[in-house]
Amino acid sequence: MLGIDDPQIWLAYVLCFLSALGCIIYGALKWNDGEEEEGC
Amino acid sequence: MAVSTPVLGIVVLIYLMVIFYLGWLGYKKTQQTEDYMVAGRKMNPYILAVSYGATFISTSAIVGFGGAAGALGMGLLWLSFMTIFVGVFMAFVVFGKRTRRIGLKLGAVTFPELLGRRYQSRFIQGFSGILIGLFMPLYAGIVLIGGARFVETTLNINYDVAVLILTVIVAAYVITGGIIAVMYTDALQGALMFLGMALLLTLTYVKLGGVVEAHQALTNMAYLVPESLQAGGHLGWTAMPELGSPIWWNLVSTLILGVGIGVLAQPQLAVRFMTVKDDKALNRAVLVGGPFILMMTGVAFTVGALSNVYFFDKLGVISVVAAGGNTDLIIPQYINSAMPDIFVVLFMLTLLAAAMSTLSAQFHTMGTAIGHDFYREFLKKGELGQTINITRMSIAVTILVSVVLAYILPISIIATATAVFFGLCASSFLPMYTGALFWKRMTRKGAIASMLVGAFTSLFWLIFVHAKEASALGISKALFGVDTILTGTWTIIDPIIVATPLAFLTAVIVSLMTEPDSQEHIDRCFMTSTVNN
Repeated sequence: MLGIDDPQIWLAYVLCFLSALGCIIYGALKWNDGEEEEGC
Repeated sequence: MAVSTPVLGIVVLIYLMVIFYLGWLGYKKTQQTEDYMVAGRKMNPYILAVSYGATFISTSAIVGFGGAAGALGMGLLWLSFMTIFVGVFMAFVVFGKRTRRIGLKLGAVTFPELLGRRYQSRFIQGFSGILIGLFMPLYAGIVLIGGARFVETTLNINYDVAVLILTVIVAAYVITGGIIAVMYTDALQGALMFLGMALLLTLTYVKLGGVVEAHQALTNMAYLVPESLQAGGHLGWTAMPELGSPIWWNLVSTLILGVGIGVLAQPQLAVRFMTVKDDKALNRAVLVGGPFILMMTGVAFTVGALSNVYFFDKLGVISVVAAGGNTDLIIPQYINSAMPDIFVVLFMLTLLAAAMSTLSAQFHTMGTAIGHDFYREFLKKGELGQTINITRMSIAVTILVSVVLAYILPISIIATATAVFFGLCASSFLPMYTGALFWKRMTRKGAIASMLVGAFTSLFWLIFVHAKEASALGISKALFGVDTILTGTWTIIDPIIVATPLAFLTAVIVSLMTEPDSQEHIDRCFMTSTVNN
């Protein structure tokens, strides 16, 4: 896959993108969550 | 160097002027101790994300670890995955939110102070502070070496002068502007790094004929692995090394786990969670932080490995050979020969930015560790007074030590020193930090025991067992007449693999054997921390 024979490597390659994508999705979904009412 | 020195000089000058402007902004916005330490707890989420990433990623991460990928191959992408999943997602979502809340409730302004106040122990704060003050200069020293080598080669300035110039510039805005200046400048530096790395990846794939084509060409080169590396377990640049071989242990235990897990307990990174106002900021920062780190480590390691294809096409040799056997030179060599001139300028700026953003955070953390955590809280028992001035003085002193180290450390120490510091932080701080945030039953004695066991096991392993450092230091040889007191596989297992689990175990056993901390204090730390998310 992707010109890489060893699954241990292409898995890492794909996981890098998926985890970054996961961060984007998480941030987007929780964009307005967790606002603190009281100031500090 | 393909680009003329005057052109580069002008670009660097403009860059420095903007940096000074941002440093001045930080200075203007710093009025109280809390501003200087944690930016008044109201930093913008994007600045937090980029500052965190730019601090985490230093020149040695791009050039040093990218060069390591040139030699070891794409197995390093597991570290890239760890830096995104553990270094950003877990760090912000799991550790970051609780760090921010508990830090705010306890009024902590540094990482050691968070730990010290959670466990109501000035000893924990003081010992953590002194550990950081003693060992972080080693890490800062090597980042300084990396940055100064860049200034030396690109601007044709003498190395010693380059070290001084770089130090004075960074010290000036860290000492005067505190963490606000540090984070503002980080944001600019991070943006430059992002742009530089994005272009580097794109141009590399274009040059090598496409994504799959480039990977395939690298896969086809497996037969070119030198015999010495084959003997160590190297099976090609798009394959993991042989399970259990020396190269496998080095890759997995030192590089992937050492840095990938060590990142969670880095004082200069953890303190950043306390600079924002609420969890919303941390959520938003995840969105920026994930892609940012992908663009740093993912690109550096992929391009490092793929440079083999370029050098083989062009010169008929693999990257390590093209770089004269020094893996640190693979990335610079590749940039200089494969990239267009204008990109060389941008990339040089990227490297300068990477060095400065890490250095500034190190200077700030070392100074506050000694000035605030050790001196004020431990020695003076929290007495108020000249905190900021003492911290500024401590920054100056630790900088001086880093500079001295930058002069005396041998060049081959770069990767080792980074791993040593990350490993030491993981084993000393991670169990106690995790317990502080997630385990109410963890006691002060459990925390102290785990910190001491983690720190001393880690140091013991470095001095007497882990062959790379033990034989270089020579202490084991002098005392026992042997390079390492254990033999075989033990000598290639990184200290973090031994010391961190041992410290975790100590934390659990001692905590369960000792009286729980007062319920009142635990309530104070945790009360609202379970309300949302």
